[in-house]
Amino acid sequence: MKLSRDAAEALAAEYVLGTLRGPARARFASLASRDAAVAGAMRRWEAAFAPLAQRVAPIDPPERVWRAIESRIAPAASRRASFWKPFGVVMGGVASVMLAFFLWLSLAPAPEPMFEAMLMSPDHTPRMVVAMFKPDGLRVKMMHPWKNMPGKSLELWAIPKEGSPRSLGMVSNEAPETMVHVAENDPRLADAKAFAVSLEPMGGSPTGQPTGPVLCSGAITAVRRT
Amino acid sequence: MSGAPEGTLEGLLARTALGERAAFEQLYRATRSKLFAVSLRIVRERALAEEVLQDSFVNIWRRASDYAAAKSAPLTWMTAIVRNRSVDLVRRSREEPDVDDTLVANLVDESAAPDREALARDEAHTLGKCLAELDAEQRQTIALAFFHGLTHSELAAHLRRPLGTVKTHVRRGLMRLRECLDRQGVRA
Repeated sequence: MKLSRDAAEALAAEYVLGTLRGPARARFASLASRDAAVAGAMRRWEAAFAPLAQRVAPIDPPERVWRAIESRIAPAASRRASFWKPFGVVMGGVASVMLAFFLWLSLAPAPEPMFEAMLMSPDHTPRMVVAMFKPDGLRVKMMHPWKNMPGKSLELWAIPKEGSPRSLGMVSNEAPETMVHVAENDPRLADAKAFAVSLEPMGGSPTGQPTGPVLCSGAITAVRRT
Repeated sequence: MSGAPEGTLEGLLARTALGERAAFEQLYRATRSKLFAVSLRIVRERALAEEVLQDSFVNIWRRASDYAAAKSAPLTWMTAIVRNRSVDLVRRSREEPDVDDTLVANLVDESAAPDREALARDEAHTLGKCLAELDAEQRQTIALAFFHGLTHSELAAHLRRPLGTVKTHVRRGLMRLRECLDRQGVRA
């Protein structure tokens, strides 16, 4: 796709301003990563608006933010070898997606996940990988986002062996990755055997239980017991 | 941020790109308060703003070596990462956004800028001048979108204006802003 200069400028401006949302936002970001002229327009708008951001009075974040950053950038040197072991056998159709997931993980110097699940839609399309990392929580890597999701939210649920689903939070359809802050010993994860994502009104289910169709689900597999 | 000069930030980013953790920590400490505040205005929940800051700095650590290619000032580059992450993560709440009208109203009043040292005075001055050229409604709409990350429909609800009108204000306002900035040679 080739945009006219004016169209690229207009999109870049609304992207930087923040009013370009949803799939259009993701499309523009992807375009900017491939097209130098579009990236240039985006940088110019970022620079133009930079003085405005300076007007916001500073607020100190708590120290735990730095500790979390530090733990996430910890070198992963010794972990790579063992990382592959649980996945000795990778099924055919899923292989390329799993490979993409491994690449994502291996590029990211993050600790090994404790458990994870590959969530597939009913047509067997791998949609996302949910992995528990200590101490961050669940990292949800979007593999195949849905094309159209205006005015809807994706809600992530833990499915226990017995009882009803427990809401864990919202997952972004557009962002390549969503962090869901849930500790590994969170009661909502106790006895959980699977994760599922349902389609809900904006902001999540009003009832505390899934109200829309389940878009994808997958069984939880242990990577490592600690 | 305690007014760390851009040159210093540039050096810290370069050392971060080489994997130097001490430099990265300094970079974080020099910019965290400003960036946290920028995110907090958009996402409106402290826990979410903490998450944004965390994700953004992990991203900055990994992408520090790409920084040179961006040809931006360090703080501009980092702010864009934080703002984009904020927009990605913001939860749509049904309630009215908590809007800081003083910040929006003082947009063209430069004396209201709390951190005047942090950025080149010229650029801030030019932007202020160009914002002053806009209609009041265009200016207010753009400021609300920028500071609070409001969507077109949230802007319409907050300003009690039809959605189409708000979209036009944004589009025309940005167009006029661009013409003015081009005229001033800022975005050459």
